[in-house]
Amino acid sequence: MSEHVPIYTTLEKESLICARCGYCRNACPVYQTIGWESATPRGKISLARQIFALDNKEKMTDEFVQRVSQCTLCGACAHECATDIDTQRLWIELRQRIATTGKAPKGYDVLRKNLQANKNITTTGNDERLDWAQDLDNADHLKSRIGADVCYFVGCVSSFFPQASEIAVAVSEILTAANINFTTLGGEEWCCGFPLRGCGFVDDGRQFIKHNVQRIKELGIHTIVASCPSCYHVWKKDADEYLDGYELNVFHITEFIALLIQNKQIRLKAMHETITYHDPCDLGRNSGVFQPPRYIIQNIPDVTLVELKHNQMKSLCCGGGGNLQSVDPELTNAISATRTQEIRESGASVIVSACQQCMKILSISVRKAGLPVKVMDICQLVLKQMVR
Amino acid sequence: MNKTTLLSIKEKFGTRASDSLMERELYSRDLAPVPSWLVKLLFNALPEIVVRPASTKEISELMKLAWTEHVPVTPRAGATTVFFNTVPVKGGIVMDLNLIKGIVAVDEEQMTVTVRAATTWGELEEYLNQLNYACKSVPSSAPAATIGGWLCMMGYGPGSLKYGSLMSQVKAIEVVLPNGRVQKYSKEMTPSIDRYAASEGTLGIITEIELEIRALTSMKHFLFHVPDIEHALLAIKNFVGRKTIPYNIHFSDAHYMRTMKDLGMAHWDTKCGCLISVDYEGSVEELSAVEADIDMYMKSDTLLTRLPDAVAEKEWDERFRSIRLKRGGPSVLGGEVWMPIKNLPSYMRDLEQMANRYGVELITYGHVVSPEHTTMMTALFADETSALKYMLDLSLVKKIQDAGYRNGGCPYGVGLWNTPYIRRIYNRAGLKRIRERKRTVDPSDIMNPGKIYQTPFMLNAVHFHISMEILAAVRKVFQKGW
Ligand SMILES: Cc1cc2nc3c(=O)[nH]c(=O)nc-3n(C[C@H](O)[C@H](O)[C@H](O)COP(=O)(O)OP(=O)(O)OC[C@H]3O[C@@H](n4cnc5c(N)ncnc54)[C@H](O)[C@@H]3O)c2cc1C
Ligand code: SF4
Ligand code: SF4
Repeated sequence: MSEHVPIYTTLEKESLICARCGYCRNACPVYQTIGWESATPRGKISLARQIFALDNKEKMTDEFVQRVSQCTLCGACAHECATDIDTQRLWIELRQRIATTGKAPKGYDVLRKNLQANKNITTTGNDERLDWAQDLDNADHLKSRIGADVCYFVGCVSSFFPQASEIAVAVSEILTAANINFTTLGGEEWCCGFPLRGCGFVDDGRQFIKHNVQRIKELGIHTIVASCPSCYHVWKKDADEYLDGYELNVFHITEFIALLIQNKQIRLKAMHETITYHDPCDLGRNSGVFQPPRYIIQNIPDVTLVELKHNQMKSLCCGGGGNLQSVDPELTNAISATRTQEIRESGASVIVSACQQCMKILSISVRKAGLPVKVMDICQLVLKQMVR
Repeated sequence: MNKTTLLSIKEKFGTRASDSLMERELYSRDLAPVPSWLVKLLFNALPEIVVRPASTKEISELMKLAWTEHVPVTPRAGATTVFFNTVPVKGGIVMDLNLIKGIVAVDEEQMTVTVRAATTWGELEEYLNQLNYACKSVPSSAPAATIGGWLCMMGYGPGSLKYGSLMSQVKAIEVVLPNGRVQKYSKEMTPSIDRYAASEGTLGIITEIELEIRALTSMKHFLFHVPDIEHALLAIKNFVGRKTIPYNIHFSDAHYMRTMKDLGMAHWDTKCGCLISVDYEGSVEELSAVEADIDMYMKSDTLLTRLPDAVAEKEWDERFRSIRLKRGGPSVLGGEVWMPIKNLPSYMRDLEQMANRYGVELITYGHVVSPEHTTMMTALFADETSALKYMLDLSLVKKIQDAGYRNGGCPYGVGLWNTPYIRRIYNRAGLKRIRERKRTVDPSDIMNPGKIYQTPFMLNAVHFHISMEILAAVRKVFQKGW
């Protein structure tokens, strides 16, 4: 199949263009779990058409708002859309419009308040951003500084959540081992803005992007590396507006590590395991990064890489995207159970991903399913197999 | 439906039954962009409850209840149809069949697959391809349309030219009859399973289907440009009549070419003439013989231009995405006509005259689905946010069907909106036969009532004709101002 570039004009126009053909339906993990027409992308767009294009405001019911929030923003529908609608933008605009009516789910407001107060998604002050690094031998270079070649954009989850901070530690050790002169934005790193956008607070999100871009410019850094696919997506797709011509090379950590392997700055030792790889939606389908993580895994001698039934462009969401967990954790669990079943069927002994959220969700799901499978982030895998 | 029945359904099906207004409203729509105020005025399209049964047993139990209580049941699968085929017109139950899916078995000796009815063609094809098999034919809505849904419609699409209608490939089916009895029918049995082709959910719920498959082979795609419709007919006839029958032939007119080009969705450069895609499948040897044969034919027809293979392949890749035309809309109105191939030029001339008369651009494309027949979709852009204009534009759909009828055609599919043309679709004897059959199987008329057999009063052929003529006349007067 040839690839299509999603198009977006206005919510009104796109909702009228939607043909209700349902090509998007089977790809949607939420519909596959809930099963009702109102959970299909076409159902939600059909209601949006009524409300916004045909001006039936009374159709903006709590039930509709709930359905709009029950979406992982995985982008599978945009990929399948027969009329090339950028449905992901459409979902965000819908959430944005809902936010203006004050009907947004409570969880969104809590998140927004935290972000306004702390500049990160937690209730912790932003000056604790580098706490994950306290056990590293030498962490001075991580404090925001001029003169570094690369900035590692850590992201909120890896900065503040203990399990995910293992990813930040791994990245730091890998970059150090490869002699990369890198730093972070430290306490000046604000949330990338993605969660705000995902809740429909698009303008608030912009302020965060603007801030981070400004800091990067001040440090005079021209290469940024993110380990979180959502942060990466923002830097890659949304930061342009504020970069305003400033040259910035944006890498996901998998792209960067793949280059380090290619340039022989990193060597990996053998591992007798069957590994399968879960494509995070924002890295794979939504940013087009499929090969670098596979290249890394294939460069570990003796590893057998097996693909999950749905992979790359057709990969299934883990259930943790789009702030879904904050509004409907049970739905997240049900979606991740489907993905876990695919992991079981793959016969792999290790499931690797390249996203802290996917790792968190899949760890819980794999444990619940009693699967004897190890869940790892790709940075942890590289750190473990790196020849020092 | 009385309250007790409704409650007993809710109790039995739990979270798989819904009477939420939002949900029911979504099940009172299909692809047809008919304004909801108009629908509300004419019919009771709002089901009282929507149920999602998960097994044949559950379907049977629900049908028994509906049969006893005389409650209308409208089956719905992919809901990719446009004539309100899946939309109730007398309330009752909408039965969402999408849980009845999955592959039951592949019989490699008999070269058949048994599949649950709501499996999509896309899913079946993907499954078969992994085993080096393929579907013999699929609808152009394969990513969303289901096996049962296509069987209940006319069942022609890409692949039909070579392998015949879907019904001709079906070996056996399992049906839950309107009285709830589960019945298996095979090709050899009487009454014939053929009655389920184009039955549009009015004779029972199909739950399982055994159909023929083919070996997965290579394909070769050709795309030709011809200067005009007369030449297109000549070329189509030639391709159909040659030694190797193509798997698929698709035709698009200059308006389609121009529109797609303007929308940035064309892989070709020209905006005039017609395009003909011709697709073959077979062994490598067969395909190279086809290539040589086409080369030879090209020498005898100097007006036929072959476009690069890469363009032909892209066209094939887009075979399920004709609907992207909607980007030129936002709304698209249209009529699909089943028509003898030989009348294609006169149909196109009729359309051209109509387009001039009403000041509208008519875009036509379609498939050659048998050596004699084609299904032609003729569409026009409209805007459903502008109620009056939109109503006037709706009248042009009848004009398209009239042009088809003048050229030996009839609507492809009936549902609700094409019931005014029922006598164009069936002759007197045919209509009598299908009505008798319906009376025998479903005497209380609970299965998808209001469709196919009888034109509802509000769409009665005379009323319909007069009102559409008036709207068309007004449309003609106002066209210059638009
Ligand atoms: C882009 C596009 C391309 C298309 N191309 C083609 C084409 O090439 N050829 C073609 O014929 N049509 C085509 N169609 C129309 C339509 O998609 C097909 O007829 C399709 O096969 C219908 O399948 P469905 O699952 O969507 O059925 P639905 O729309 O859900 O149902 C169709 C009818 O069958 C009944 N029904 C569905 N399932 C069952 C069942 N299991 N048991 C009993 N009754 C049932 C319903 O009540 C309804 O009357 C196209 C539509 C679109 C949007
Ligand atoms: S983005 Fe994903 S979850 Fe949301 S509607 Fe589309 S396919 Fe479903
Ligand atoms: S695939 Fe696109 S056009 Fe079709 S129903 Fe889904 S969103 Fe609408």
